[in-house]
Amino acid sequence: MSNLKISQISFSYSDKTILKNLSLQLNKGEITCLIGESGSGKTTLLRIISGLDRQDSGIISYGNETIADDKIFTETHLRNIGLVVQERALFPHLNIIENICFGLNSSKREKIKRGRELMDKFNILKYESFFPHQISSGEQQRVALARALAPSPRVILMDEPFSSLDRALKFSLRNETKQILKNENITALLVSHDFNDALEVADKLAIIHEGSIIQVGEPRNVVLNPINKYIKKQFVCETGDILYWKSIINSEK
Amino acid sequence: MGNRLGVLSISLFALLFSIPILIILLSLFNEYSENWFHIYNTVLSEYVLNSFILFFGVSVGVFILGVPTAWIVATSDFKFKKIISCALVLPFAVPPYIMAYSFTGLFDSYGTANELIRTAFDTADNYVFFPSIRNIGGAIIVFSLTLYPYIYLISYNAFLNQSRDIFDVSRTLGLSKIKTFFKIGIPITRPAIVAGLMIVAMETLSDFGAVEHFAVPTFTTGIFRAWFGLYDLTTAKQLAANLFIIFLVLIAIEKFSRRKINYINNSISNKNLTITKLKGKWESVAIAICLIPIIFGFLIPSSQLLYWTINYKLSFFDQNLLYTIFNSVYLALISGLFCIVIGTLINYLLRINKSKFLSLLNNIITSGYGIPGIVLSVGILNFFLFLDESLNVFLIGTVLGLIFAYSIKFYALPNSSIQSGLKKISVNLDDVTKTMGYNKIKLLLKVHVPLLRNSYLTGILIFMIDVIKELPMTLILRPFNFNTLSVSAYTYAADERMVEAAAPSIAIIMVCLIPIFFVFKSIKETTDE
Repeated sequence: MSNLKISQISFSYSDKTILKNLSLQLNKGEITCLIGESGSGKTTLLRIISGLDRQDSGIISYGNETIADDKIFTETHLRNIGLVVQERALFPHLNIIENICFGLNSSKREKIKRGRELMDKFNILKYESFFPHQISSGEQQRVALARALAPSPRVILMDEPFSSLDRALKFSLRNETKQILKNENITALLVSHDFNDALEVADKLAIIHEGSIIQVGEPRNVVLNPINKYIKKQFVCETGDILYWKSIINSEK
Repeated sequence: MGNRLGVLSISLFALLFSIPILIILLSLFNEYSENWFHIYNTVLSEYVLNSFILFFGVSVGVFILGVPTAWIVATSDFKFKKIISCALVLPFAVPPYIMAYSFTGLFDSYGTANELIRTAFDTADNYVFFPSIRNIGGAIIVFSLTLYPYIYLISYNAFLNQSRDIFDVSRTLGLSKIKTFFKIGIPITRPAIVAGLMIVAMETLSDFGAVEHFAVPTFTTGIFRAWFGLYDLTTAKQLAANLFIIFLVLIAIEKFSRRKINYINNSISNKNLTITKLKGKWESVAIAICLIPIIFGFLIPSSQLLYWTINYKLSFFDQNLLYTIFNSVYLALISGLFCIVIGTLINYLLRINKSKFLSLLNNIITSGYGIPGIVLSVGILNFFLFLDESLNVFLIGTVLGLIFAYSIKFYALPNSSIQSGLKKISVNLDDVTKTMGYNKIKLLLKVHVPLLRNSYLTGILIFMIDVIKELPMTLILRPFNFNTLSVSAYTYAADERMVEAAAPSIAIIMVCLIPIFFVFKSIKETTDE
């Protein structure tokens, strides 16, 4: 069942085409990873889905509801779409629990209950009254994820959420994130330039090049069957772990 | 050896700059005269209360005028944005006392505004539509309109220095743009805004001309009356010391706020803010909000002054006025150059020595900026009296004395400009230059000085704006029969000769507009980078 549908989206900025008739579907509870080089239009797509930028043409719909087309434009704050960015963007004047509960509109008691529930899931309960600058970057990333998940968004968008972390932390956080997203049954679009993010976390992999999606499929299928030399050269072969992944896939067969 | 000489010179400067302040503070331990007790029992509570009301009223006023306009300009795109964003700093050119003269002429019972209403609606000759503004409310309006550019510039920079992600994430969490302004924009820039408010508070409490014109008794008018009315310099010093203690508290709050700014800025990265293109009614609302302070803070007072100047056929550029302009500009320029030289030497020594002691001395020298002009004048005059009596060095009522006073008061401005300029020069550049056979003096002259050109320009221009607008110190310490633009405007206005006060007033605004244009251009270039 299609959850978020992006159809024929185009976007230009200062006479430069950033997205060109881009289409993509995210299914309910599915984690999709969007991989592409710098400047390929990944972040722009996230900004358009969240309503921070408006597309020149094309349609974005959620289920049967159109949230953006030529005439309709649902403002960002009314879309109920969560966003996690590379730099975390935690509110420096609020403590951790206040950050996590920021997007909740319930009573104070319910807010705290939901906040603590998420903090427990992410194993950051002990930092409740800390401020963002008092915790490590890995913990900050957990807070950013918990904050985005708190209002139970229809879709969560993650822009390079693991890229500034060290290798060990990246590995553990990828697994945690995947587990929590699956438990909460949330549709997610994760943007990255690291093929390993897709292979470890995603159910579906989409490759973006010069503003268009050029291949979509199960991550392991894309690894084993890149449709062209560009994908093979840029992403699959560039990954040092390719042989490891191939051996895993083969052993599963 | 060279370094020791440098440290010794700075210590001497610090001592010299601190003496007037010490004289004021030590007066607290002097015997209190009958006049003091008279003031204490009768008007001191009024001074404190009025100063308190002014402080709060002006803080609210500048916040309302400065912060929303900064937010609109930083986060939105609308018609005439470029012109409006520049025009918002124009009231910097209008000193509070000049705006007070202009507003009095406009809104007095027989002022231009009431005359226009009477003519337009054909009412009785004694009909008054606009209430009198010669009161504390009027003073709050005048200070808010002239001082909000501090808050506007500080908030504008603070907004630009925030990562766009933080505002974008807030919106994805369900907050509209307006709610994001209140729940994220203001709290996140609060330390910067508080620091700005403290500067505004210092400017307000140290003003003399506007409160005197509106007959609002405050500490500054009290000091002036004790000195020139009761001829009691000791009581004037003691009042000044009390005001100085209030300032020390404000400075402490300002410094504490700046420390907080650092931690907030460290926790986030820099990306350009998302700019929203405003259309329709929102565009009109944004333009209207930005135009209000420009119209009331610059266009109306300038137009009133121009109207007086032209309509009453005064010879606008007569020889006397040109002479007064020359006095103001050359005083500002010479003291500015002096501060640039001192600032360069001190900061260069600080760079090559990294000594905490030197840094402390520099902080002492810069503290003069936080002291009201009238307080400094009292201290400086006492210091000059001492020099006259003990060393037979006569400085009272000399240009040299004025240059000394301006340097103590405004040294912090070029110093901060030079400091930030030096920070941009990589230490590696110093090391490479030294390997090429350059000694420390050559390194300063051939590398640092040319690279600091823009910092010098910004520093001296900001310094000049403040010196040209400065009133109480110039009024008290100037040589006999020596007029500057500010003194000339004050003298006419004090005699209620508002029309004659218009020419020097408009000249102050015009002269200040030139440096303001350059400073704003340089600030814009830095933020655009």
